[in-house]
Amino acid sequence: MVRPLGTLEQLVMDRIWSWGHPVAVREVLEDLQHERTLAYTTVMTVMDNLRRKGMLTREKDGRAYLYKAAQTREQHTAAFMGEVLAGGADTAVTLLHFLEHIPPEEVASLRNALDDHLQGRKSIAP
Amino acid sequence: MTAPAVLTVFAVALALLGPALLSRASWLERSPRIGIAAWQALSVSLVSAALLAGLSLAVPAIPWTTDLGQLIRTCAMTIVAQYSTPGGAVVSATGAAAALVILARVAYCVVADRTLAARNRKAQLDALALIARPHLRYDALVVEHPAAAAYCLPGRGRQIVLTSAALSALDHSQLLAVLAHERAHLRGRHDLILAAADSLQRAFPRIAAFRTARTELGRLVEMLADDNAARQSDRTTVATALVRLAEHGMTPVTALGAGGESALSRVRRLISPVRPLGAGRTTLAALALGILLSVPVFVAIAPASAATPMPPCPVSGQALTM
Repeated sequence: MVRPLGTLEQLVMDRIWSWGHPVAVREVLEDLQHERTLAYTTVMTVMDNLRRKGMLTREKDGRAYLYKAAQTREQHTAAFMGEVLAGGADTAVTLLHFLEHIPPEEVASLRNALDDHLQGRKSIAP
Repeated sequence: MTAPAVLTVFAVALALLGPALLSRASWLERSPRIGIAAWQALSVSLVSAALLAGLSLAVPAIPWTTDLGQLIRTCAMTIVAQYSTPGGAVVSATGAAAALVILARVAYCVVADRTLAARNRKAQLDALALIARPHLRYDALVVEHPAAAAYCLPGRGRQIVLTSAALSALDHSQLLAVLAHERAHLRGRHDLILAAADSLQRAFPRIAAFRTARTELGRLVEMLADDNAARQSDRTTVATALVRLAEHGMTPVTALGAGGESALSRVRRLISPVRPLGAGRTTLAALALGILLSVPVFVAIAPASAATPMPPCPVSGQALTM
């Protein structure tokens, strides 16, 4: 059921996130070419797409651009999951959550109901 | 003229009394599948009663006959007769407009919602591609996150997503139960059940019946998935997984005060002895739902079939005497 997620965007973001410093397209290209043959323009297009999506920012450095991640991987993940778990209107039509959000005092009553049951079973078992 | 009136009364009664009746029928929880069917039948019956009330105003009762030529002739005659009086024309036009508005609203909301859902699904998959990793043992994606959560992304490219906190909060058997629950959602296309209810709620925001239907369907779909999961592990494991996920899921401030009752009813249901509906009650429920669904159609066509024995207009009257 799970599809492989090895898209070029993911490979590029993986590298930029783990390096943590601004990089030129050529550096990313050279690293990616350890694994597969890629054209410079392909990597440039991918990185420009990521910039337009707000994942990367860039600044001019001499003749080339230097790219860096707009957010760290942790910040990006936290923002995304925050949105998913808050169950906003955007995701409500798409996702089925195992649990809806539960206020802390309700969690306690869930636990009590379960514990009562488990204790009841234990007292019957022996 | 009685069909539109009966249909309108039926629709109003259904909208006002139906949700209260179904909400009180707690035995529906014993068979979530029948519960889901009941709420769906209520919604469909309500929409079709309103739709047919409009249509039966627009089109007067036309006698049924197998003679196609005669049918078309009488059809034309009755419609001409109806629209030739000023009052009749106004009534018919109102009915036609009402039916059209209902149909257009439902169609628009369904299409708009499906488009939005498809776009969101793609956005979700793209985002997951960047931050999630496939789990080595389980058929799921894992996202590093401190709040325990499990959810699924239905439709094309369907995925089950677990947070790293969920992985550490649950043991192996509890994880299998959660995965079985999510797989039940995906296999049963529960998203479509909820999407249809969502669209109806959006199409007619003032009708509380659709709002109640959406909430109840959300609950029943979870119970159905719980039952599926319990068949693969056991009910206590599913209940434990539920409680542990609740304990380790941090509640965002925005969502405070929302929900909770549904989770509690799910836990209570899982830990109480299983009492599936008997065959008799299931048959009875199915029969009742069938009747509920067919009442609007029956009321709409009854005047037409009653009109059959009578010569409906002079043309066919002459034809009969010859």
